[in-house]
Amino acid sequence: MEIAYFLGCIMNNRYPGVEKATRKLFEALDIELKDMEGASCCPAPGVFGSFDEETWATIAARNLTIAEDMGADIMTECNGCFGSLFECNHMLKESEEKKAEINANLAEIGREYKGTINVKHFAQILRDDVGFEKLASLIEKPLDLNVAVHYGCHFLKPTQTIGIEEQAENPSILDDLVEITGAKSVDYKDKMMCCGAGGGLRSRDLDVTTSFTKEKLDHMTEAGVDAIVNVCPFCHLQFDQGQVEVNEKYGTDFALPVFHLAQLYGLAMGLSPEELTFDAQRIDATPAIKKALGE
Amino acid sequence: MIIRGVFSMSIVNRLKSLFKGDKEESDVNNDVSNTSDDVQVTSSKKVSVNISKGEKEVSIEKTETVTESGDKTVDLTFKKDIKPVEDEAAEEAVEDSSEEIVEEVEVAEETEAPVEVEEVAEETETVDEDEDAPEEDVEEVEEKTNDKERDKMTLLTDKELLTDANRDPDFTAEFIDAGIETVQHCFQCGTCSGSCPSGRRTPYKVRQIVRKCLLGLKEEVITDDALWMCTTCYTCQERCLRSVKIVEIIKKARNIAAHAGYMAKPHKMTGVFVMNTGHGVPINDATKALRTKIGLSEIPPTTHAFPEALAEVQKICKITGFDELIGYDEETGGLKE
Repeated sequence: MEIAYFLGCIMNNRYPGVEKATRKLFEALDIELKDMEGASCCPAPGVFGSFDEETWATIAARNLTIAEDMGADIMTECNGCFGSLFECNHMLKESEEKKAEINANLAEIGREYKGTINVKHFAQILRDDVGFEKLASLIEKPLDLNVAVHYGCHFLKPTQTIGIEEQAENPSILDDLVEITGAKSVDYKDKMMCCGAGGGLRSRDLDVTTSFTKEKLDHMTEAGVDAIVNVCPFCHLQFDQGQVEVNEKYGTDFALPVFHLAQLYGLAMGLSPEELTFDAQRIDATPAIKKALGE
Repeated sequence: MIIRGVFSMSIVNRLKSLFKGDKEESDVNNDVSNTSDDVQVTSSKKVSVNISKGEKEVSIEKTETVTESGDKTVDLTFKKDIKPVEDEAAEEAVEDSSEEIVEEVEVAEETEAPVEVEEVAEETETVDEDEDAPEEDVEEVEEKTNDKERDKMTLLTDKELLTDANRDPDFTAEFIDAGIETVQHCFQCGTCSGSCPSGRRTPYKVRQIVRKCLLGLKEEVITDDALWMCTTCYTCQERCLRSVKIVEIIKKARNIAAHAGYMAKPHKMTGVFVMNTGHGVPINDATKALRTKIGLSEIPPTTHAFPEALAEVQKICKITGFDELIGYDEETGGLKE
């Protein structure tokens, strides 16, 4: 099996440990991750999607054509990238009119969107293409960790078009994937709520974004978890960097380390915290990692 | 109180029957102009009835509800909060609390004010004409609302009333032309606003924006900073009883606002980053060092590593006019200003 690996921006340019863990995981799964050379920003739905749909769709379609040329489905491990690429792919497959409009733009850079591939999320591939059993066989030492799973928004919604879960408001895919590592997914109030960063809100109005994040952190802390697990580098950044901002703004002392699902698997497969670049994150993950590994 | 209970139950039943059937009937709001006229009149009545009732207990309760939810937002500041209509606060307060109550109609009948019941009855009626359900309750309610004495008590002044002059039908047509016909299916139940995590802490009122888009109140929609307080989390759209593509409506409204010049500088800067590097969040020296340290390529195999790929992205932004839209300055690689 071959997959076109879409990097996006925040993961590879801020949290490379997520990329490292993903490459190691897929190596162990014997699935080839092929680089999408020359891929760009998805582009950011909050700005491009909100400013000009045509630009958004053309840049997204350009990324899709790179994978089409490779003849492989796309995998992304960012909800924002998944939202942009999946939505654009879906829109162009559904509407001949839109497809013609976007292809007229792409023709000027010598590209054509054909509609021959699918866009998949990292967690979706782990559940549907790899399977829980095979994943379980990779776990070297089950992790002893209580985590708050954060789904994020553009991974499952809108349900009508994405369809990864029948009920996006009551999903189980990430909880199941987390528990394979031995960690326990702890339920918490308003679990499905947004982190607050999306839709261009973080860059435009940090105070509002921070207020979202504080509410989530309050509920996660009340549930007594050791760490947060997410599947979106933007949510990841918001809980990591944003947690520092919450503490500064509200005088709180939240200290919940943030794990991308790929990093959680990396840890369970025996990768070192340094390889997973936990040392570069704002919230110290050392206590949680020590607990997880029984040290 | 007994009578109120009867009202509420009949409304609940009628709403339920509506939800069960007729979901796909699009003729409900086909005539946009008629519907909008109805609503304008209705909204002025809502306020007048509320005031004339003068039920202090109820009013106080409502104020408390608003304050409670307002507590969380105490620390919030907004950079530029343009209110679409002056002195709208009173109307908004009434509408807000009614939204909450509509949502809780099954569990909280006893605490309901008759005002909200009437409002629900009226709104139900507009989409309900073909149904066989008994009409007595609604007629009774209508008599009350038509009371001319009460009409004199309205808080609205003539200049606050909306007329056809306020409407821009082309604005509404833009949504329908973009394939978001479902904007016409909204019956203003308020489930969206009741579900909205942003609405709990900002002036963002998604139900109101959807209505304004359908009415064609272009200036009110695009000049309102609150339009940008949506994180596009899709909770509203997931829960919408009428399957209205609410997030599509918000994004379309933002597109129209952006093309009219309403864009925040930080957003334009994200556009600038993409035009300069291909990435909204470009790489930095610290991450280059990190990547090398853990055995990844120093530069990821993206537009960062392929200048000809970056040139393609830049060309796209010129073809679509995105560079001019955000005021990109090719010479400085920043914003013109």
